[in-house]
Amino acid sequence: MSVQHPHRRHSTGRVAAIALLALVAAACGGGESAETDDSVAATTATTGSTGSTEDTVDPGAGTTTTTEAAATAKQGGSIIIGLEAETNSWLPGQANFGNPGINVALAIYDPLMRRDETGAMRPFLAESLEANADLTEWTLQLREGVVFHDGTPLDAAAVKTIFDEFINIDASNLAGQVKDVASVEVADALTVVYRLNQPNAAFGDILAGAVGWPFSPTAAKAAGADAGSQPVGTGPFVFDSWQRDDRLILKRNEQYWQAGLPYLDEIIFRPVPDEDTRISSLAAGDIDVLQSLRQSTIRRAREVSGVESFEHLGNNSGSAIFNTSRPPLDDVRVRQALAYALNQDDLVEILGGTGLTPPHSQYFSPDSPWFSTAAEQAWPTNDQEAASALVDEYTSDPQRSDGKAAGDPIAFQFDCPPDPSLIELAQMYQAQWAEIGIEVNLNQVEQATHVSQALAGEFDAKCWRVSSQDDPYRIFSDAFGEGSPLNFTRFNHPDIDRQLDVLRSETDLEPRVQAVEEISLVLAEHVPNTFTAGTLTALVARSEVRNIDGWVFPDGTPGEGVPGATTMWGHVWLDS
Amino acid sequence: MRAVARKIPPLVATLLAVSFLTFLLTSLLPGDPAEQILGPQSATPERLAAVRADLRLDDPLPVRYVRWLGDAVTGDLGRSYRTGQEVRVAISERLPVTLQIGGMAIVFALIAAVPLGMISAYRAGGPVDRAVTGMSFGLLAVPSFMLAILLILVFAERLGWVDATGWTRISEDFGLNIKGALLPAASLAVGELAVYTRLLRSDMIGTLQEDYITLARAKGMPTFWILLRHALRPSSFSLLTVVGLQVGAIITGSVVIETLFALPGVGRLLVDSIFQRDLVMVQGIALVVAVSYVLVNFAVDLAYTYLDPRVRRGRATASV
Repeated sequence: MSVQHPHRRHSTGRVAAIALLALVAAACGGGESAETDDSVAATTATTGSTGSTEDTVDPGAGTTTTTEAAATAKQGGSIIIGLEAETNSWLPGQANFGNPGINVALAIYDPLMRRDETGAMRPFLAESLEANADLTEWTLQLREGVVFHDGTPLDAAAVKTIFDEFINIDASNLAGQVKDVASVEVADALTVVYRLNQPNAAFGDILAGAVGWPFSPTAAKAAGADAGSQPVGTGPFVFDSWQRDDRLILKRNEQYWQAGLPYLDEIIFRPVPDEDTRISSLAAGDIDVLQSLRQSTIRRAREVSGVESFEHLGNNSGSAIFNTSRPPLDDVRVRQALAYALNQDDLVEILGGTGLTPPHSQYFSPDSPWFSTAAEQAWPTNDQEAASALVDEYTSDPQRSDGKAAGDPIAFQFDCPPDPSLIELAQMYQAQWAEIGIEVNLNQVEQATHVSQALAGEFDAKCWRVSSQDDPYRIFSDAFGEGSPLNFTRFNHPDIDRQLDVLRSETDLEPRVQAVEEISLVLAEHVPNTFTAGTLTALVARSEVRNIDGWVFPDGTPGEGVPGATTMWGHVWLDS
Repeated sequence: MRAVARKIPPLVATLLAVSFLTFLLTSLLPGDPAEQILGPQSATPERLAAVRADLRLDDPLPVRYVRWLGDAVTGDLGRSYRTGQEVRVAISERLPVTLQIGGMAIVFALIAAVPLGMISAYRAGGPVDRAVTGMSFGLLAVPSFMLAILLILVFAERLGWVDATGWTRISEDFGLNIKGALLPAASLAVGELAVYTRLLRSDMIGTLQEDYITLARAKGMPTFWILLRHALRPSSFSLLTVVGLQVGAIITGSVVIETLFALPGVGRLLVDSIFQRDLVMVQGIALVVAVSYVLVNFAVDLAYTYLDPRVRRGRATASV
């Protein structure tokens, strides 16, 4: 399973250049470039070996694994990153961190935890995070000697102060995320214990987000109401200045706890809200890196000369959800027939995703560690014969659930909000289902009604979006949990409940992946919803900006790349 | 001076009306303003109560208005719930950008429109006039955002003469500042240019038929001198009025242009604040924009007296 960059693209010229450099490197006896099947390693290693070696550094000093990117990276330089939006504040609890904001935050702050290449949660700023047997107590061990940019030490007391006085207060927008944390206790100078009200196997996820980005409590208290515009973290870059809606300037943290990092001297984030002018800015060289969550932008940005696109396919997918508590969609044969009748490629084409976003078969994209090949193969799609056979079986069944006479066509209503692209999409669904003799009545509903009908279960089928980058326990317990208000399809299954128990109580990746696969297989069999395609995100960088997706943990373990067009900027370097 | 003094009371009345309407923004929105500010996700009862208490939403409307107006007059427009920034600070940070772009746009438009209008009026119906007329209708038909994208493609992406987006403060680097302001100002100027040219042309055609122009011609004065010295001033009445009124169009245009060029101006702040339901900020910006608009048109009103002594005398006789 390739996690990081199945969509990595090189412009033709670049591929040739890399190939040439690879030859040069091989001729130079660059033993480190042996693993040239990984294009990142190949790019960085080979280019570096042709450059001068005097200004290279080794950030992995003192660690056992040294990546090739690190061995050849150059120090210095400044880059400008064009983000799609400004962020309201930089203080966790106050700030609404969207994808653009997370990029900035990951330059100023360090996350306590993060996911690695395989999808396992792993300590980044933290030394370790351990749970007790029933998963109600999580012990966080901090690293020794880490200080905030203002010199305040990052210790257990600081973590507790941040939690008690900034995160877990009424005015904090993170309070909801930590509602199950009963208390945070200081065990010793560098050890913090989180006591939870109920078991949570995925507690590490919370510490990977804004809750787990420590900021200096002394600086935040001193700044008072202005704390959001003067962030002080432990991260690779130190806050320098911020002109809202114009630019935020960060300078190299000379006291960074990871020796040798960061590579860049300066990093400037500029919000450029218009997608077209952001592409123009990249083409004109005003910015070095472009961030986008829009597939049409990514498609065009790929064509800019001298850039490389680092893409990630997110889990959030378009979907048709079926109300499994209402006839005729309560019958699994009807739902399977509806899935078999769909040609997903045609649906993706209407959404403008052809060549960018492959059709989905489950709640996770091929870029996700939770993706299951078995579920992909089991997913019913694009088989008219199978669809017609199932429809015939249902319509000729005298006991058919909708109470109609044998032979009468299946009919239901399909609701979509009045968005032009969704209307076109709904018409495509209608046409494809009409081909197997199912009568679909399209109905346009305003967004608010759409949602309230879904919550109340007053619908047959709806245009919807499913899944997210959250932990699968959260995704599936919301979508299919017993009694979950967000179980729009009203679909429950004993096997899903059993696997949810596993997801709730297991912290190891392997059994959890197994449980997710089981659930995905149940869903492929019972089809409470169908899928269109995932959400594409990208950081598109000028080719001299290196190692965008090659960040590693302090122990050298490769990270999860560029999920949601975000990366760890401390590892990025400039090949000027 | 007395003419000016006579204009003050209606000005104050207008400003009060403007401020009251701006203030009503929060009360006219459907639902609870506190809920609007916090948004559906974070509107817990505690936070709602805190916002209500902070904005004193439970007081009667007139009381709140008087208090708000008192604060506003002393420069306190409140603090944004979204960013935690003081509204006054946020606006004063951004106003120079919008003023510069808008000012440059008007100057660009006038520099081009005055000669073009004069030339086409001088030989009305001639080939130059027809070319200018055709061009100005063409420019009028192009929306500024489209022109902006076109300018970016040509001058930033193709030719690389200027940056596509971004802003440098005058205090940092004057050259870079002007370079960055060129395309946005040009995008805003084009629509104005067309309007100004058409107006000046029609007014000047009228002026050129006056007897004193014929006299000037008969005296053998050079055409250029007649146009500039004798015809332009009396013909620029409507032009001036429209420049004042078009300040509104410039502000509207800046909303789009600042977003396109990623400029940290008031227009962009307004758009973001509206999208994020930042009512306090929207209220502050609306007040500043509305008051500036009223003041600009007040200034235009005063300028009439300079341009045409008849206005001055007319008022004076009327008041005696």
